[in-house]
Amino acid sequence: MEFYNKPGEYDAINYIPHTESHGTKELWKTFWLLLGITLFDFMIYFVMPASGFRNFIFIFFGLVKAYFIVGAFMHLKHEKMTLALIILVPTIFICGLIIGLLYEGSALEVMKSM
Amino acid sequence: MANHTTTEASFENQPTWAGGRSPFNVSYGKLMMWIFLLSDAFTFSSLLVQYGTQRFSNVVTPITTKWPDPASIFNHFPGMHGFHLPLLFVSVMTFILILSSVTMVLAVEAGHRNSKKEVEKFMIYTILGGLAFLSCQAWEWYTFIHEGARLDGNTFGITKQGYDHLHKVSFGSHFEWEVGDRTFGPVPFAALFFIVTGFHGFHVFSGVVINVVVYIMTVRGVFERRGHYEMIEKAGLYWHFVDLVWVFVFTFFYLI
Repeated sequence: MEFYNKPGEYDAINYIPHTESHGTKELWKTFWLLLGITLFDFMIYFVMPASGFRNFIFIFFGLVKAYFIVGAFMHLKHEKMTLALIILVPTIFICGLIIGLLYEGSALEVMKSM
Repeated sequence: MANHTTTEASFENQPTWAGGRSPFNVSYGKLMMWIFLLSDAFTFSSLLVQYGTQRFSNVVTPITTKWPDPASIFNHFPGMHGFHLPLLFVSVMTFILILSSVTMVLAVEAGHRNSKKEVEKFMIYTILGGLAFLSCQAWEWYTFIHEGARLDGNTFGITKQGYDHLHKVSFGSHFEWEVGDRTFGPVPFAALFFIVTGFHGFHVFSGVVINVVVYIMTVRGVFERRGHYEMIEKAGLYWHFVDLVWVFVFTFFYLI
């Protein structure tokens, strides 16, 4: 393990691990992927008529884009598993809340029309 | 000197959670940036939760309370007045933001190699990308407000006549709203648009400010003296988060 700090300077606050450059190849690959997915979304928007399935495609590719941004750009793929988990696990609960409240929204509409 | 070596060795041999070092193998500042971004993700999701709930409670009938079709409103492009061009401008904005994300990550990569010149170059590109995005958003807001969008009302409900009218035009053809095409729609539509894109725009703005500060610090050689460019990584994390939020704003406000 390498550190930027000089030996003997370590403490919990001033601890700076050495970070390696992984080269620019992966970054450019991620860029082309993100651009491709955006263009694909753009194409689907005009080719397919609006439907639940189209919305599913958009949300699915949104999550794919999020995976590449967080994984490659924000470097989370190369971080320790424990760090990745404390960031990612709480967001699962957010998804649960969103889905739950969408059902509540539909129920609200039924109530308004009664 | 001998004392130093023993300190280092004891550090490396410590079990992960024994204390004295980060169990996540990141610096304190970077860990705190991640925690801040997580809490910021909660902020944005609370806004998206509200948006989803409001939208799902205004879906079906009657047609005047229907949630407005984004394609009928965000169909402008600078310099092409009167044409039906949905999604085009916002795709350009997405492209700008993705591009500035790449230049940011290239600045981080240059920082790993301690290349001051390249860090400066890529930070400038990132700042320019952020400013371009903000200008696009300003134009988008200007057009939207000009068409009558307010925080406390919504004139973008579509009547049956307007719905048929809209679906007769295709991408790129000449398009003007006729009298009687529009009526009052669900009130939170414009308000949520302003709040969510405004909140995101504010994040872009603060990201640009952070990037400018980091750029000035780079030029003055602060990081060179410090021996590492970790601050670029922290600013980069924030900047990528802004891009990440835009992915979801783009999906939920424009695509769906």
